[in-house]
Amino acid sequence: MNPLPLASSDSAARQSTSLLRWGFLQRYSFAVLSVAAALGAALLLNHFGFRDATVPLFIFASAISSWYGGPGAAVLAVVLSSLAFDYFFVPPLYTLYIAPSELPYFVIFALFTLLVSWFARIRHRVEEDLRNARDELESVNRELAKRTAALETSNKELEAFAYSISHDLRAPLRHVSGFAELLRSGAAPFLNEKSTRYLKVVLEEANRMGSLIDDLLAFSRIGRAEAHYSSISLQQIVQEAVGEARQDANGRNIVWRVDALPEWYGDRSMLRLVVINLISNAVKFTSTRSEPEIEIGCSERKNDQVVLFVRDNGVGFDMKYSAKLFGVFQRLHPQGAFEGTGIGLATVQRIVHRHGGRVWAEGKVEGGATFYFSLSKLTGAN
Amino acid sequence: MDVLGRILLVEDDSKDVELTLTALDEYNLANEVVVATDGEQGLDYLYYRGKFMQRAAVNPAVLLLDLKLPKIDGHEILRQIKSDEKLKMIPVVVLTSSREEKDMVASYKLGVNAYVVKPVDFHEFVNAIKELGVFWAVINEPPAGSVRKH
Repeated sequence: MNPLPLASSDSAARQSTSLLRWGFLQRYSFAVLSVAAALGAALLLNHFGFRDATVPLFIFASAISSWYGGPGAAVLAVVLSSLAFDYFFVPPLYTLYIAPSELPYFVIFALFTLLVSWFARIRHRVEEDLRNARDELESVNRELAKRTAALETSNKELEAFAYSISHDLRAPLRHVSGFAELLRSGAAPFLNEKSTRYLKVVLEEANRMGSLIDDLLAFSRIGRAEAHYSSISLQQIVQEAVGEARQDANGRNIVWRVDALPEWYGDRSMLRLVVINLISNAVKFTSTRSEPEIEIGCSERKNDQVVLFVRDNGVGFDMKYSAKLFGVFQRLHPQGAFEGTGIGLATVQRIVHRHGGRVWAEGKVEGGATFYFSLSKLTGAN
Repeated sequence: MDVLGRILLVEDDSKDVELTLTALDEYNLANEVVVATDGEQGLDYLYYRGKFMQRAAVNPAVLLLDLKLPKIDGHEILRQIKSDEKLKMIPVVVLTSSREEKDMVASYKLGVNAYVVKPVDFHEFVNAIKELGVFWAVINEPPAGSVRKH
């Protein structure tokens, strides 16, 4: 699946918070008004004898200027507050002069106001970051939901497509095969050798296309099928597959070697298919050998990964074309030399990929082939 | 000798009908086949409606049913048959091109008696149809209501 692109223009736009939405003038006016309001309130309260409210009022004005107006407004508010505090409340009153005895009190006031504004600034930034992060998360979630829906739709379409192939494509094929067969049985006495062969080809090809469609459907089903992961014995799966292959190849003196194989976690029926495909390939491509040998073993075993191989001494292949081995309907041998449509290894690859592994092969023309597949440690959640 | 109960074939594709009849003919079963070319006709036959109003009051020995049909599809016919006390005993064989598991599962859930995928190879097709015809119309003992005519 493609990584989700985080639309950078989107996130930049989302960063427009209260700070950016307010213009320069508005921010500084806000600071001036806050301090003026604080001053007014302080004077009013002083008039009625409440002196203790003065300092908190100025600090509050500076803090909200910092919160809503940004750093510049904060500095302006702190300066204005200090001046107003000095002018109206620090003796001697109504001058900007500060008596030496009052200086520490004034400095503490100014520093404290500055500190509170600074904290307000930091707190505001944290809040903004959180908000941005949340917005981003929401947008990613929305994008994800959109993609999930698109994926579901395309899965449904794929299913409908496979169904249509399954049903509609096979019907005309059956008719070609059926009526050609009827023609053959009806017209046999009148057909010359050539025409008889033509009809035979028509029939064979119709049947081959039938197999291709069936294989393609089975292949697409593997991709769509839900996997059921559980703890499985690879040893047992291989033994069973070898047992079946032995029966199918009865009469042939194949020498089988099966190493000890570990327990693993995976979809039993799918991995069975992998093993059966690889083993039946080995049986198929050793059919021309007088002393066929097939070995199944484990070439690497780590905590989180295991590599299994199936080795044969059959006809092998040219490493030049090894990339083609796992393609759908790709064959490295001419039609007729060995049977099969060329879906087996594609199926193997698809299943192994679903198990978080990979599949590769080594071989030599007339020198046998070894097919490896790795399986990753999957957890139950997968 | 027993006269066979009729085989009801519900199939919209005339070429499939021809091939099926040809296959059944090899066992001389073709004469006993009634063909319905869509789902509605199939139900008309079962319920003595339309052009089948006057037919003899006996259930078919077996119903060979395609799934993809015009008007009323195979699953719907199957559902109606299996939920009707008078018809549910009729053996129904789904005869389809579809190898899709969901079709198979749906058919079995609805109580189908057999599910056969039409083979592409004609010999296999003939054999499948022959065996179906012979099994359901000759070997199988039909339930009461679809007794063979003697």
